Amino acid sequence: MSTASLSEGAKPKKLGLLRKIWRVRQAYFFLIPVFAVLGTFKYGPLVVAVQKSFFDWNGANVDRFVGFANYAKVLHDASFRGSIGHALALTAGALAETLTLPLLAAVLVFHIRRRRLAEWVRVLFIVPLIVPALVVIKIWTWVYASQNGILNSLLELVGLDGWTHAWLGESGTSLWALVLYNFPWIGGIYFLIYLAGLLNIKAELFESGSLDGMGVWQRFRYLELPLIRGQIRLVALLVVIGQLQNFELPLILTGGGPGESSLTPALYLYDRAFTYNEMGYASALGMVLCVGILIVTQAIQKVFKSSETSG
Amino acid sequence: MKIRTNLRTAAHYAVVSVLLLATLFPFYMTLINSWKHRRDLYEHFWGWPTHFYADNYATAARYLLPYMLNSVIVAGGIVLVVLILSSMAAFSFAAYDFPGKGLLYVLVIMMMMIPGFLLLVPQFVLVKGMGLLDSYAGQIFPPAAVGSAMGTMLIREFLAGLPAGLFESAQLDGAGSWRIYSRIALPLAKPILSVVGILTAISGWNNYIWPLVIISDEKLKPVILVLGTISGTIEQGMGLQLAGYAFASLPFLVLFLFATKPFISGLTSGAIKG
Repeated sequence: MSTASLSEGAKPKKLGLLRKIWRVRQAYFFLIPVFAVLGTFKYGPLVVAVQKSFFDWNGANVDRFVGFANYAKVLHDASFRGSIGHALALTAGALAETLTLPLLAAVLVFHIRRRRLAEWVRVLFIVPLIVPALVVIKIWTWVYASQNGILNSLLELVGLDGWTHAWLGESGTSLWALVLYNFPWIGGIYFLIYLAGLLNIKAELFESGSLDGMGVWQRFRYLELPLIRGQIRLVALLVVIGQLQNFELPLILTGGGPGESSLTPALYLYDRAFTYNEMGYASALGMVLCVGILIVTQAIQKVFKSSETSG
Repeated sequence: MKIRTNLRTAAHYAVVSVLLLATLFPFYMTLINSWKHRRDLYEHFWGWPTHFYADNYATAARYLLPYMLNSVIVAGGIVLVVLILSSMAAFSFAAYDFPGKGLLYVLVIMMMMIPGFLLLVPQFVLVKGMGLLDSYAGQIFPPAAVGSAMGTMLIREFLAGLPAGLFESAQLDGAGSWRIYSRIALPLAKPILSVVGILTAISGWNNYIWPLVIISDEKLKPVILVLGTISGTIEQGMGLQLAGYAFASLPFLVLFLFATKPFISGLTSGAIKG
């Protein structure tokens, strides 16, 4: 009986849809668990998120339909607008960071001739990725700490006592601290993505390149850079998506403060929902943010596409 | 010419070294200072510990172990659920042709594109309604749902790369579908299962926001939530917290030493597909 459920090779006979479904019923049985869990914990909540963005809702007894009132409020919310500005600054900073030093490191590691050494260096660059993200954030709160922090101690060590700051506690520096977090921004996934791209380039291309007397810069500019375009686009997308959702970092480093000087949209949403119990409003914020992210990522895809055809 | 290449190699290595040192510096500082007594840390901030003060680690371990156990249960539970759900779904998508296959696959994959913060509120309300606040199940299932989407995709792609007709010929030999799944598909998929497992374990261990929102019972908190809150004597101070950070990172560092390859391919495939 199960022989009828062959995927390819079997001749598709004209069968009624129901009969067809019945013949491959095992295929559906295997999908039941995943859809049970996805439906309960993802699709259900998604529907609720969309629906409740039109409600004045505190997650419990207050539950009143208010039409587009939440969305109107989002548009006039100065805190939210401020947080968007911060998210854009963080995104711009992160793009500048991930498109430079991790790429440089990947190219340099890729060209290390001694294989054992190259492997060791690669593993050492990856180690920070194995450390739990929260631990890294905690270590960086220590880097930025005003008392006995690594950065301030370093400044004092080289005689720049006047430059020390309570980096996370001053509104002039808190956003910068978030932008520069994790300097030199290499110990992470982006380095690995670039390296994977470089490793995919065919060896013959490098051989003919060196025969033509290519310099290091020319090799990078005309050979490597074009061939890892896909990786660069991926990194740009991941960075933008990640930064627009950035949440844990400001929550732990600065709490969005002081004041609202380092507030990000996702953190603002969290605050509204869980500090003020404005869950309907938080849902509207989430919808707006979600659509925004979708538009920005589509735009990036477009930019890369058009530059691919024109360049 | 020779000198020029040598100079170039030297510059090459020098830049790599500087970048590597800068990358590892905060971790190095964490490690050396985690062995210091409070006064030692204050007086010899940059240097090696004057004597290795192991008390920091003893206190940190005693304090963190119950939380680590919670993390192991939660991350292990997430891995188990993800592996079961996604291997079954991936097998179905890879081995059968059936009406609605494309749509159902898209419905699974689409979950990866919905940002977590959007679902945070309704998920919280849902889990509260189910009575799963302050429970292991509440910490396991919602993250496992996200993980299953990516897992399904990765495993399906792997199974699709197996020789064509493998599952069909097994069926012709009269094997039932459960048998094909458990005796053929699963053993063959071991490499990708370990990749998905490691990837899921890392993200499960790292979950912060979700347990922060749903767990208030001290006894159920994962270790990530209590970092930086270790109570010790006043003499221990910062060094104790640093020892805690190092201790909480230990499981994956050890695992990484033994399974470097699936780790690296897991991390890259996770980023590339996600």
